[in-house]
Amino acid sequence: MIKVQNVSKEFKKVVKESGLKGSVKSLFSRKYDIVKAVNDISFTVAKGEILGFIGANGAGKSTTIKMLTGILTPTKGEIEINGQIPYKNRKKYVREIGVVFGQRTQLWWDLPLTETFTVLKEIYQVDDARFKKQMDFFNEVLELKDFVKSPVRTLSLGQRMRADLAASMLHSPKVLFLDEPTIGLDVVVKSNIREAITKINQEEQTTIILTTHDLKDIETLCKRIIMIDKGTLIYDGSLLDMKNKFGKFREINLSLQNNSDINMLRFKEDLNLNSDDFQIKSNKEKITVIFNSQKIGVSDMLSYILTHTNIADISVNDVNIEEIVRRMYK
Amino acid sequence: MRRLCNTYKSFLKAGIQSGMAYRVNFICFFIGESLYCIVMYFIWKAVFMSSGNGNFMGFNMVDITLYVFLSNLVGFLTSTDSTSSLALEIKDGSIIMRMIKPVNLNLSLLAFELGDKVMVITCTFIPVMIGVEIYRYITLGYIAFNIINFLLFIISVIFSYLIAFYLNLLFGYLAFFLMNIWGFNMLKGSLIKFFSGAIIPIAFFPEKIRVVFEQLPFASLVYTPTMVYMGKYSNNELLFVFAKQIVWLIVFILICRMVWYLAQKRLSSQGG
Repeated sequence: MIKVQNVSKEFKKVVKESGLKGSVKSLFSRKYDIVKAVNDISFTVAKGEILGFIGANGAGKSTTIKMLTGILTPTKGEIEINGQIPYKNRKKYVREIGVVFGQRTQLWWDLPLTETFTVLKEIYQVDDARFKKQMDFFNEVLELKDFVKSPVRTLSLGQRMRADLAASMLHSPKVLFLDEPTIGLDVVVKSNIREAITKINQEEQTTIILTTHDLKDIETLCKRIIMIDKGTLIYDGSLLDMKNKFGKFREINLSLQNNSDINMLRFKEDLNLNSDDFQIKSNKEKITVIFNSQKIGVSDMLSYILTHTNIADISVNDVNIEEIVRRMYK
Repeated sequence: MRRLCNTYKSFLKAGIQSGMAYRVNFICFFIGESLYCIVMYFIWKAVFMSSGNGNFMGFNMVDITLYVFLSNLVGFLTSTDSTSSLALEIKDGSIIMRMIKPVNLNLSLLAFELGDKVMVITCTFIPVMIGVEIYRYITLGYIAFNIINFLLFIISVIFSYLIAFYLNLLFGYLAFFLMNIWGFNMLKGSLIKFFSGAIIPIAFFPEKIRVVFEQLPFASLVYTPTMVYMGKYSNNELLFVFAKQIVWLIVFILICRMVWYLAQKRLSSQGG
């Protein structure tokens, strides 16, 4: 379905010297730096798969998406999607894909939402029956009905994002690219959007590639993730494997009857743990202990805490992937 | 072909609705332009009064009045925002939203802008035309309206709009290479105003300069359609000016395509 082979993208960047003098100087002679935004990335995606892209800001996620959608041409390497090369014959290629850039909109700013759909219907030549079926589907999963008549500029961010998602799906694309589809949304809308994405994926067997900073998105949507850092691929595999591979960390949440008891927990001295293997976070109500379960078993850890403190409440959790990602970046 | 038309018709329709969204904008613009015309009228009146015989380079006072109002109308009809709308999209990166759609970038911009202008065109074209003819009837004492000149004028205006659109688009594409084109845009504005005959009829320039100016693409923008309406061209001259318009249009369309092709090659990512 999607084949990406040894793809790199370089940008020329003007280097400006600082200050007014530098600005004047750069008017006459410019120095360029070559920035490698994406460096030798390869992966494949099967039909119907949901693939999550994660990485820090500026890691090269968006650049990769832009190459996959045919906007940017790779400096090196090859991309093949649906048997087509995205950056060649762009107009033909984009008929089969849908794209949402969370920070931009493809809706007509001044017009009621319905008009955007009408325009898209014409652009993609969706026939009437199909159009109606799709709109019904969107109404069901994205609840567009309430604001479909209002001008796009009056929509809230959550409404706009739902509409954008619908707009990218109207022509039933084979591949859907979602670049930060949940950016800036509240928890309810986020879960709404996630549900919709799942439904779309199941209903139409759409291949979905999504980038996000919200790891909850990844956890609920993606079985497989790709992690990019400074343009290079540093992890490609299932979420589960990643959790196993990068430290079997567990998390214990507890609240103490007496908050000063926290000083009684001396993991370093009593349990011989390195400072890399555990971490204590605390605020007024809650204390979180994160520890490597390969170094000390969960039951040992629990009994140590129980013997040294008076506990009001306690729970043991899998560490969330945010923590893993944070550790990987280090 | 039909499918193609439908695709861009939807842009046209969207443009019409978008144009309706900002009505006050248009009213203010209309008042401003009218004031400008009136000022120009009085300036030329002063020029003609002082020239003594009321005839200047083959223009009389009625001609120049017609010229002032018509050239402004043409300038308005063929005015285009394509430079700024394209440059803005390039600068803030929203052009990528156009690129992920299976449409021709230039044509979608054109269709949308045409739609956007439909209302303002009808609201200015008809009253100004009627006004001009009433003025001619009152001063000349007979109906000077010539249907053939009028139809040729319409065709000429359509050509000059398209030339203006693609010429401006070309300046918009500069944003790919310069990122900020404010200065260039100002320069372009003045060049067009001066060379297109929007301020001074090209016929008023000294012979040698006039010949050069008439060959430039700018003359096709305002001067040509205005002179066509006024019936200042002989049949042979008409053929020649229309040929010039078509040639310039083709030249600009081709350059635009080439620049777009080059620009895509060196497109860099804006904003993430």
